[in-house]
Amino acid sequence: MKSLELVNIRKDYGGAVAVAGMSMQIARGELVSLLGPSGCGKTTTLRMVAGFVAPSAGSVLIDGRDVTRLAPYERDTALVFQSYALFPHMTVAQNVGFGLEMRKVGRAEREAQSLEALRRVRLEHLADRYPRQLSGGQQQRVALARGLVLNPAVFLLDEPLSNLDAKLRGEVRSEIRALQQSLELTTLMVTHDQEEALTMSDRLVLMEGGRVRQAGTAQDLYERPADAFVAEFVGRSNVIEGRAEGGGFRTACGTLLPAAAAGAAGGSFYAIRPEKIVLAREDAGEGVGGALREILYLGAQTEYTVMLGQTPVTVIAATPGPDDALAGLRTGDPVRLSWPGASARLLGA
Amino acid sequence: MAKLVLPAGLLVLLLLGGPMLLMLRYSFNVFDPLFLMKQAFTFENYARAVADPYYQKILTTTILVALACTALTTLLAYGPAYWLARMESRWKSKLTILTMFPLLVGGVVRSAGYLALLSTDGLVNAALRGAGIIAEPLQLLYTPGAVIFATVGIVLPYMILTLASVIESIPRQVEEAAANLGARPGRSFFRVLMPLSLPGVLAGATLVFILCMNAYATPLLLGGPQFQMMAPAVYEQFARASNWPFGAALAFLLLIVTVILTSLGSSVIARRYRAG
Ligand SMILES: Nc1ncnc2c1ncn2[C@@H]1O[C@H](COP(=O)(O)OP(=O)(O)OP(=O)(O)O)[C@@H](O)[C@H]1O
Ligand SMILES: [Mg+2]
Repeated sequence: MKSLELVNIRKDYGGAVAVAGMSMQIARGELVSLLGPSGCGKTTTLRMVAGFVAPSAGSVLIDGRDVTRLAPYERDTALVFQSYALFPHMTVAQNVGFGLEMRKVGRAEREAQSLEALRRVRLEHLADRYPRQLSGGQQQRVALARGLVLNPAVFLLDEPLSNLDAKLRGEVRSEIRALQQSLELTTLMVTHDQEEALTMSDRLVLMEGGRVRQAGTAQDLYERPADAFVAEFVGRSNVIEGRAEGGGFRTACGTLLPAAAAGAAGGSFYAIRPEKIVLAREDAGEGVGGALREILYLGAQTEYTVMLGQTPVTVIAATPGPDDALAGLRTGDPVRLSWPGASARLLGA
Repeated sequence: MAKLVLPAGLLVLLLLGGPMLLMLRYSFNVFDPLFLMKQAFTFENYARAVADPYYQKILTTTILVALACTALTTLLAYGPAYWLARMESRWKSKLTILTMFPLLVGGVVRSAGYLALLSTDGLVNAALRGAGIIAEPLQLLYTPGAVIFATVGIVLPYMILTLASVIESIPRQVEEAAANLGARPGRSFFRVLMPLSLPGVLAGATLVFILCMNAYATPLLLGGPQFQMMAPAVYEQFARASNWPFGAALAFLLLIVTVILTSLGSSVIARRYRAG
């Protein structure tokens, strides 16, 4: 049985369409990320699930029950707000116990459960503090505990990491994932950070302009993007315009690339990931010739920009060691690029 | 900078404190039928103001009316204030200005408006008779109810604006979080919105209580000759009886009682909610 199901939900604001008919299903215990550029309707979708926004059409089902017309307080969802939205006049323990209090759980039981939830996010020692006495990361974990303690049918996260610094983000990311898996929480997470979505989710739903562009596992979206938009949004990709021709692909500026082994026949976009390309010196003899325009040293890796005619192509490779053939490369040097046709895909727009 | 601030500060101090100090001094003088006022230092005026049953009754009435008005105003203002604070449309700023509008017209004029509304041939009676609900006009005017009704109407904008600004500072997400965690609107109000807006309620109630304690035109115009409140009584001492020392003592009695009641009220309410 599906735990959360959206059936063709839609939201119009006046004439503007925020969500243009979305359908998706989340199985029990699964974490699905809603990913997409700013303004594509992620938050609106999440708020329709929580009940804060009434859909213009379509329905929301939780555990098979239609909840479309139910008020937020009648739905078994727990939403972790981007701003945390802790109650400033209550202690951490009271914040976490609030949902239980509303469910008329007795005081002793409530305190025991709140403490257990706080232990899960390793904050039991701060139970008597007020939210203003906590750091951002700690507030974030209180907000998580406040939702977790209710063991909700659907757990909702709105950009849960966006207010944290880079280091903390990594930590909290794996923490949320571990909690979600150990409690088998059905979770819908909104993010516009594709790395977050790739690392945390069982499945991703990529939205654009209020619609689903592609849904699937991280591998599906990364290895088998449905179109040029997906290829560019998820991970990095060289998307080159042109057309298939004989045994290859002719770019708009005339260079012939190895034939793509997969994708939409007749597609006018050719996608190849930067890390799938092998960079070699001119004298290697194999591959497409080009000129090196830029070298960006990233530590373990180096990013090269190579011009194939007028088309820039990004290549990412391990930074060469001192004895490596590529060690002495400079901008302007002639180079050769090669990749197996199986790594490239033909895509529609 | 200091050179500029100092004279301005002194002027402000003089404007604010001068009359008060002068009145305070007068309140210790004695009334003289011939010379009106003689220099002295006596607590006689205060003793009389406190001991005289006539003024005891006036003070009690004033306090009761002010309390009733404050409670009613708070109850009536909360809904509209919330609505105004959470409003998103372009009407918001227009409605805020509209709420302020009655303040542009003085209390006397608005009291006269209530007079026209409540008199035996006023709007309310005319409407009730027109609808066939009553045969004879009701005596609405010159009752404590009329004074409370009109005073509430006059102080309502202050309360609405004070509350709205405080409610606006409470993030909407906090209320949404309460609903998301299962709080029905009533629970959410008492557990989240009310405690968080308490500073606004206290500020508004204090302001309104002070205004009501000092109400002048409304009791005078709508209360009738039998209904007495402190501000008109003070005025009478100055203007009719020409007894400045006693008038000043009455005024300070009113001030002291107001200060004691407002500080008592805020601390009791604040403590009660902090505990809950
Ligand atoms: N209350 C509203 N009234 C009118 N339009 C709205 C309202 N809320 C959202 N929209 C519009 O709906 C569209 C989707 O908004 P939404 O907040 O869902 O985007 P999002 O995907 O969450 O974006 P972001 O990543 O920037 O948070 C946007 O174009 C937005 O301007
Ligand atoms: Mg958003």
